[in-house]
Amino acid sequence: MSETSVVTPDSGTMDVGHHDHHELPWYRKYLFSTDHKVIAKQFMIAALFFMFVGGAFALFIRWQLAYPGKPIPVIGSILPASWVTEPMSGVITPEFFTQLLTMHGSVMIFLVIIPLAAGMFGNFCIPLMIGTDDMALPRLNMWSFWLVPPAGLIMMAGFYTETGYAAAGWTSYPPLSALTGLPVFTISGQTLWLIALFMIGFSSIMGAVNYVTTIMNKRAKGMKLFDMPLTVWALFITAIIITLGTPVLAAALTMLFMDNFLHTSFFLPDSLVTSSHYAGGGQPVLWQHIFWFYSHPAVYIMILPLMGVVSDVLATFSRKPIYGYKAMVFALSGIAFLGFIVWGHHMFQSGMNPLLGTTFVLSTIVIAVPSSIKVFNWLGTLWRGDIRFTSAMLSGLAFVSMFIIGGLSGVFMASAAVDIFIHDTYFIVAHIHYVLFGGSLFGIFAGIYYWFPKMYGRMLNETWGRRHLFWTFIAFNCTFFPMHVLGLAGHMRRIYDPNVYDFLKGLSGLNEFITISAIVLGFAQLILVANIFHSLIWGKKAGRNPWNANTLEWAAPEHPGHGNFDTDITVYRGPYEFCVEGRELDYWPQWEPGESISVHHHTIAVSKEESENKVFGAH
Amino acid sequence: MGDIFKVFNMMAWFPENVSTFGAELDNLFGVIYYLSVVIFFLTFGIMGYFLIKYRHKEGRKGYNYHGNNIVELTWTILPTILFAGLGLYTDSAWAETKYSHKVPVADVEILVLGKQFGWYAMYPGADGKFGRNAYTDRSARHLMSTTNPFGIDSTDEAGMDDFVTENQFKIPVNSNVVVRGSSIDVLHSFFLPHMRVKQDVIPGLWMKIWFNAFKTGNYELACAELCGGGHYSMRAEYEILSKSGYDKWLDQKNSDVKQLRMMSAGTTEPAPIVEESHPASH
Repeated sequence: MSETSVVTPDSGTMDVGHHDHHELPWYRKYLFSTDHKVIAKQFMIAALFFMFVGGAFALFIRWQLAYPGKPIPVIGSILPASWVTEPMSGVITPEFFTQLLTMHGSVMIFLVIIPLAAGMFGNFCIPLMIGTDDMALPRLNMWSFWLVPPAGLIMMAGFYTETGYAAAGWTSYPPLSALTGLPVFTISGQTLWLIALFMIGFSSIMGAVNYVTTIMNKRAKGMKLFDMPLTVWALFITAIIITLGTPVLAAALTMLFMDNFLHTSFFLPDSLVTSSHYAGGGQPVLWQHIFWFYSHPAVYIMILPLMGVVSDVLATFSRKPIYGYKAMVFALSGIAFLGFIVWGHHMFQSGMNPLLGTTFVLSTIVIAVPSSIKVFNWLGTLWRGDIRFTSAMLSGLAFVSMFIIGGLSGVFMASAAVDIFIHDTYFIVAHIHYVLFGGSLFGIFAGIYYWFPKMYGRMLNETWGRRHLFWTFIAFNCTFFPMHVLGLAGHMRRIYDPNVYDFLKGLSGLNEFITISAIVLGFAQLILVANIFHSLIWGKKAGRNPWNANTLEWAAPEHPGHGNFDTDITVYRGPYEFCVEGRELDYWPQWEPGESISVHHHTIAVSKEESENKVFGAH
Repeated sequence: MGDIFKVFNMMAWFPENVSTFGAELDNLFGVIYYLSVVIFFLTFGIMGYFLIKYRHKEGRKGYNYHGNNIVELTWTILPTILFAGLGLYTDSAWAETKYSHKVPVADVEILVLGKQFGWYAMYPGADGKFGRNAYTDRSARHLMSTTNPFGIDSTDEAGMDDFVTENQFKIPVNSNVVVRGSSIDVLHSFFLPHMRVKQDVIPGLWMKIWFNAFKTGNYELACAELCGGGHYSMRAEYEILSKSGYDKWLDQKNSDVKQLRMMSAGTTEPAPIVEESHPASH
């Protein structure tokens, strides 16, 4: 008997809360909820909102690069006066351009990809996939979300400061980020950026502590660590990276905040000609070391969870066990470990001792090894499968293919000698977008298409899903592949007008092509949003297990309420037992009792007696 | 149609190379590029083949197989050898261009300073020796100012013939040019696209940069590190002259400096900026 007194979108008709639950007020249900699923949805909505903000920033940048000095169409005349060269002219200023590229990077990384990858999937997947009712620390979880919107607003509030938004790039290298030219104790966009990032880091840490605690303590009965789906493994390893890396970022941010706001000199050398009122004695390169010590692992914070998600999606829709499950776990751990000893590859040309460069070349290039292990295992998973091309699967395949390109382009800059020319050019921009957009974002799409039925109890429209992915995939490649070419021609990143340089004069056609593709790419995302809203209301009812998948979240009701499961969950096997010999169905959920043996890496279902007599000589 | 294929012919997009070590760096890029192309077609080919061959059809069943350790070991060890080998293979070029003990004996030594938003270059003048300045003596750094960016000590005789150019410099062909680069305000990056040189310059440190051009001509210097709103306009020009042409230019400058010094004798003016250009404004 379940509690179904109130049918709301969030409690659902299949709501199965505990009997002693009293009705919560609406703001505890939808706003300050401690339910991990609600928090996951909040992360999703907030991050998708910021995705459009960050995307708009990107389109401004693209317009300027393709048509330098031309007014921005449609909205040009209503832009704030501080953004444009002359009132109503619609032509953005170089100063605003640097603010745009800073905010585009910061918003997309810290307010979109990390909240989606770690925040949304971490919250939604972990308790459901390990078969428990909620996170170990639900209140901490709630706070981990509620630090993000204020942080986003604080970052955006930079607009109202004297200097506008932060403008030193998302990497905020001092002295540029420290020297505001303003008196001490004056808030600039950069100051707000630092505060916002500190809060987001704090949110990450609270989430990560929670994930680790939950995974270590709250797994369903019978679930060993190596029975966990790869999504949970990936999130677990990500959480460890966050707990080790983010405090370092917090330290760096604190120091830069003091330089910026209190005019200390952690990162400022003496005898800066333009700013004599600093004590000096600091070292600008120090920031780069500390920042990248966090921010390189942060790259893996942004992609590891999606590697897990894509592994689950690929296995489910290939109707096959993941190829080399343990190898995948070790590869994830390998990437996480190596991620902490490669930060120097961002600094090959920044004045670090070149001998140190050599060591970082070796540690960096070795990351290609666990990455290729993962790619090969994904390909192995497709091998002899029974592949269903759902939207989730298509996104997963896009992830794998774009990750291959992004990984290969990474090899170029991993080699310090080759990096000399391509460093700080559009080649780097192409690479990061292949990894973060082609990789992470397609992985996020895969996860949304895959878990939407469990999130809202309704299916997303597959036809529109395919259209969204088709246009995104084409426009993405048309946008970012040519950037490799720009980089090779020497086109520096973060420049306002390439036409200043003779050697970049031949590239305006390419720049225009990229901009048109980027506009298509931006508008293609509206299909996803429309699909989400449409399906929320008119989507097909999902049922418990629409994909015939094995992992525990599909044991929960169609639209699980607070408490998640209506049955006691016991785990009997690993998460990827598809097409087991001796079974009628082509899947075998983790929670379904039954005996099996393993013979030469094949799983065979057996009766209880057979298993007890060990007639097959199982190990 | 040809234009479309040109997008994939990556090597054709590099700017002209005028540096002695440039061809080697470009070739290393080529090695990785062609290796990547092979890996790309291999993996995409396999993936495409699997997707077509194993697509869902009535009666198809997935193959319950959990993987094979020998296969896993193979595709762990092979990439390790390949990529670590690649790293080691490219390292000699890195050492040659950047290790400080590999920097050749300088035929020409120049000091370069980045500022928001432009470049200064300083030559040692007729005596071929820099006087006391922020580079030669750390303690002279407090002399640095917007009018005296190099912190030249005007009381030092050796520095009397040093001269500074703004947003342009000249170097001789077939000579080892050693640049000591720094900045007076924020980070900049000394980027000579045609010379395949890139090195961030940091206030408070003097980075050692070297190159050797095998061809004369006019080329551009760009800043590759975000340094503020005017970052894009931080452009300078440099000219690679024949050896005789360079000597002639140097003599000309030296006499110019002498004359300027005579006119301002007795005053404590820092090194005069003898040549200026604002190429960014065209």
